[in-house]
Amino acid sequence: MEHARLQLVNKLFNDRPKSYKYNLFQMKLLIDRLTQHYNLTDYKQQRHNLAFVTVDKQLSPDIITHLRDYEGFSHFVLLSCVDWIEDDKLQLTYLLNQPNHKYEIGVRVLIDRKNPEMVSLHKMWKQIWTYQRELHEAFGIIFPGSPRLEENFVLEGWTEKPHMLRDFDTKEYAERTYFPRPGRTSNDPATYMREKLYPNQPVTAKTNKND
Amino acid sequence: MNIKDIFTPFTVWSSVLKDPVTIKNPIGREAAPRYRGFHYNDINACIGCGTCEAICENQAIDLVPVEGIVTKSGDSGLRPMVDYGRCCWCALCVDICTTASLRLTNAYTWVDTDPDNFRFIPGVDKKDWDEVQLGWRKPEPNYSFYGLHRQHMGELHAEDRKSSFIEFVQGYSKEQAQQEADRCVSCGICVATCPAHMGIPEYIKAIRNDDMEEGMRILYETNPLPEICGRICTHKCEDVCSIGHHGDPLSIRWLKRYIADQIPTDVNTYQDILGTGNLAKNGKKIAIVGSGPSGLSAAHYLALLGYSITVFEKLPAAGGMMRYGIPEYRLPYDQIDKDINYIASLGVEFKYNITVGKDITLDQLSKDFDAVFSGTGLHLGRSTRIPGSDNENVYQSVDLLRDIVTGKPVPVMPKVVVIGGGNVAMDITRSMARLQMEKYGKVDVLATSLEDEDFMPADREEIVEAREEGCTIVPGYGPQEVVLENGKLKGLKVWKCLSIFDENKAFNPKFDSAQERIFEADMVIESIGQGMDLSYLTEEIKSKIEFNNRGRIVVDADYQAKGLPWLFVGGDIIEGPDVIHGIANGHRAAMGIDRFLNG
Repeated sequence: MEHARLQLVNKLFNDRPKSYKYNLFQMKLLIDRLTQHYNLTDYKQQRHNLAFVTVDKQLSPDIITHLRDYEGFSHFVLLSCVDWIEDDKLQLTYLLNQPNHKYEIGVRVLIDRKNPEMVSLHKMWKQIWTYQRELHEAFGIIFPGSPRLEENFVLEGWTEKPHMLRDFDTKEYAERTYFPRPGRTSNDPATYMREKLYPNQPVTAKTNKND
Repeated sequence: MNIKDIFTPFTVWSSVLKDPVTIKNPIGREAAPRYRGFHYNDINACIGCGTCEAICENQAIDLVPVEGIVTKSGDSGLRPMVDYGRCCWCALCVDICTTASLRLTNAYTWVDTDPDNFRFIPGVDKKDWDEVQLGWRKPEPNYSFYGLHRQHMGELHAEDRKSSFIEFVQGYSKEQAQQEADRCVSCGICVATCPAHMGIPEYIKAIRNDDMEEGMRILYETNPLPEICGRICTHKCEDVCSIGHHGDPLSIRWLKRYIADQIPTDVNTYQDILGTGNLAKNGKKIAIVGSGPSGLSAAHYLALLGYSITVFEKLPAAGGMMRYGIPEYRLPYDQIDKDINYIASLGVEFKYNITVGKDITLDQLSKDFDAVFSGTGLHLGRSTRIPGSDNENVYQSVDLLRDIVTGKPVPVMPKVVVIGGGNVAMDITRSMARLQMEKYGKVDVLATSLEDEDFMPADREEIVEAREEGCTIVPGYGPQEVVLENGKLKGLKVWKCLSIFDENKAFNPKFDSAQERIFEADMVIESIGQGMDLSYLTEEIKSKIEFNNRGRIVVDADYQAKGLPWLFVGGDIIEGPDVIHGIANGHRAAMGIDRFLNG
């Protein structure tokens, strides 16, 4: 059984276009080269043409510059953020593309959630300031020196805490902000089933206590 | 400015003859395959558990009754109604959906002048996109907001457990219990199915909050035997658990046991937690015949109301079938005592070794007490009545199980065949295996049932565990004859069972005599069900009350016998048979007695 499975995996692997193995091989070499220079705390090969590495906040501008200038990652794809509230961290991901080899690397940087600040990289790729403006609005991250950082991005006149932080209570905000529609009623399944199926049966214990 | 900037605009001329990538008329353009558009709900798969409503961050979903969908066990009969004035298309409702019935189609355009039309029940109110298959669905498998797999329950290895009667299910640790409790979505669908309607989501929440005292209070609202039920309940709740539709159902029974196990045995602690240390008596007296689950439950809830309770028990200890039917390896005696001692601490008096009908008559009880509750259970074994079944080495499982508990010598022979496929059959099979291990050092028990393996009435785990312990289970055969040689029992002749019920759904098994087998045996145990012993009812009483076509006493919703107001009847002789039904009808009868005596 196990052998048959391996055969199938090998077949699928060998039947892929050449670029699959080539890409994977090239990415392995890239990671090897990077680890010679930098301390990568985490590495994950997501697909044959996409890998993620996690690096120190202090080193990240250096590594991203290195990737652009020495490894050919000339195209900046996007910058995104994830709120790891349990670890008290915000995770930034800079996704970069290497047009010659057609592979991508996501550089992940963990920053402090209580003091969310990150070096602005808009001098490297001009369009980064737009992403930084978005993240400033959604997560409250400060990128010192980033142009138009404080301007509204999609939310006009937003005065609440940043809405993409996981401790922003969307439901509470919705209840407070949007008026209830008239005529709406709902039912709790357990209560409704009790009324329908066993309205007169005891569901609590009655007691006769001395006062 | 460099030269490139001047010439670049002219490069667009190279595209002048190509098809444009923009669309002339964007209305009607199909969205991406996984686009999140309007909802569609497969209303036959939906069970109305309401997790979609609970998770909705915008309060866009209401659960509403739908005509034609009946509220029944496992289905609330409610269906989600979406308010598109609030929906933000995030699809959390789809991702949490326990039955995976809810999805978002990729239809996103719809024009209507009446805003109220944008509030409808997907799947019920017909829409143009109902047949659209593209869109967002719950990603499966291995993706879920809740744990799909239950926490593993530690058990003794089969080799270790089959040589003794010690309890082999080890119970959850705090960490395991909390992780298991974390899988619950608190929908409450299970509550209606539980015969006692226990507050299941609430006590599971108490485990999440690590508040055992609160958990205990919730358990005792509807169930005064949590240690017992936490071990041997038939857990019908787990059959309808919404998580069970696409994963393992919650281990509700083991979680109940976890709460009860955390409370120290001391009855004062129980009274402190449950606030029952200072009950006021109301001066009325109730007699309870039989100390099984229904009798104990009635005694407990009546004692809380201030009645003086006397329980009459034929056997030397309380518990009924829980003590004298269920083997110790599933339900240890100290755990039975733990539950019963607390009930006794409420002032309930137990009189053992008194057989009502012999030592004291029911009529006498009716004179001495204000009302009588009878829960005498099913203690008579039923015989197959096949040729040879009157042989001295053919036994009844209930008798043997009782003898094991009372310490009477139990005949153990090297080769045993059990007839029956229910839980009691598995109990005697596994008990005999243990006794054989003790006596002969090896197991040779075979159990055979009429039903095919998939339809055997025993719990699945009972069958699996019996096999692990070395017992042989051969389903799908019907006993024809106990084979005797010079009056000595040699084996059991069986034929392959083709069907059990006829067209009228009456019990009428059909056999294929060509597929005959003979199971060698020195002793045969019949375990095909139990009957009730109502000999304590005098002819006069019998003439006053009514019996239905199954021979059961007819009772009303308060479990009051029709024709005899002072007599209340419950337990296995009315419904079940199982512990949780007995607990439920004991509680209801207690409330009925209170209504009868206090109006």
